[in-house]
Amino acid sequence: MSNIQFAQLSDQVECDPITNIDPKSLLGHWINSNPDTISIARINITEANGKLQLQVFAVGPDGPIDWGTATAEVFAGNPASSTGAGFMCTYDFGFAEARFQAMIMKGLLVLAQFHTFKDDSNRASYFMREYYAMTHEHF
Amino acid sequence: MDYKQKSHLHPDLLNPAAANLNPDKLLGRWINTNWETRGIAECIVAREGDDITVSIIGVGEDGPIHWPKALATPLANLEEEAGQRTPAATATFDLGFMRADTHLRINKGVFVIVLFATFLDDSGRANYLNREFFYRHS
Repeated sequence: MSNIQFAQLSDQVECDPITNIDPKSLLGHWINSNPDTISIARINITEANGKLQLQVFAVGPDGPIDWGTATAEVFAGNPASSTGAGFMCTYDFGFAEARFQAMIMKGLLVLAQFHTFKDDSNRASYFMREYYAMTHEHF
Repeated sequence: MDYKQKSHLHPDLLNPAAANLNPDKLLGRWINTNWETRGIAECIVAREGDDITVSIIGVGEDGPIHWPKALATPLANLEEEAGQRTPAATATFDLGFMRADTHLRINKGVFVIVLFATFLDDSGRANYLNREFFYRHS
């Protein structure tokens, strides 16, 4: 084994350099499995210019709120894989920041959200974790 | 107050006790449930003054690998599936050649670490994610 650095054995792989992680499994329209969510209702994930793009639609008190698009970083399932298995992404709203860590599990997108407020509202930073299914027209 | 989703207006965010912001449930020594893991062997979450710190020990070739200690950011939990409202935290580890962004939470008594590894060297390895489960060392 070469002298590549590792922090755990699973990092210690030798493979052809991976220049691109295929995001195919992440692309599509994802809908929250919880119809009563107070958070994100839908996420559209696309690829544009080789980058993963998210468009988020959240549930607001008076109807849906379009967060617009943000670029996400794609992650594989292991360091020798070129298949996308999840992503990280940040939305900065000025008054608050929402960071995402998402992964595909059993066909669902599991989205962990970390919200931090930067205004003087004294709201606590908080965590949410919800499940999203990819919509399709097979049935 | 500004908001981008309903949960931003949740009244419990102004009442940390109600939002379960107290990270004490995360404190302790946590051992991987999988003794054949090639990942994280154990994790120690500790209170150091006003800070919460996270120490991770990775499985190495010739013994344990002690990662540099990281500061945790405790997070309230408004709600999760099955009505769980357990505290969570994030922590980022700078290993020089790699950055590990993690979130830590307890799910039905099991401590869960979700790790997003970003390689900063030119080794050609793919950035990857992993999830492992830990029990509390008594």
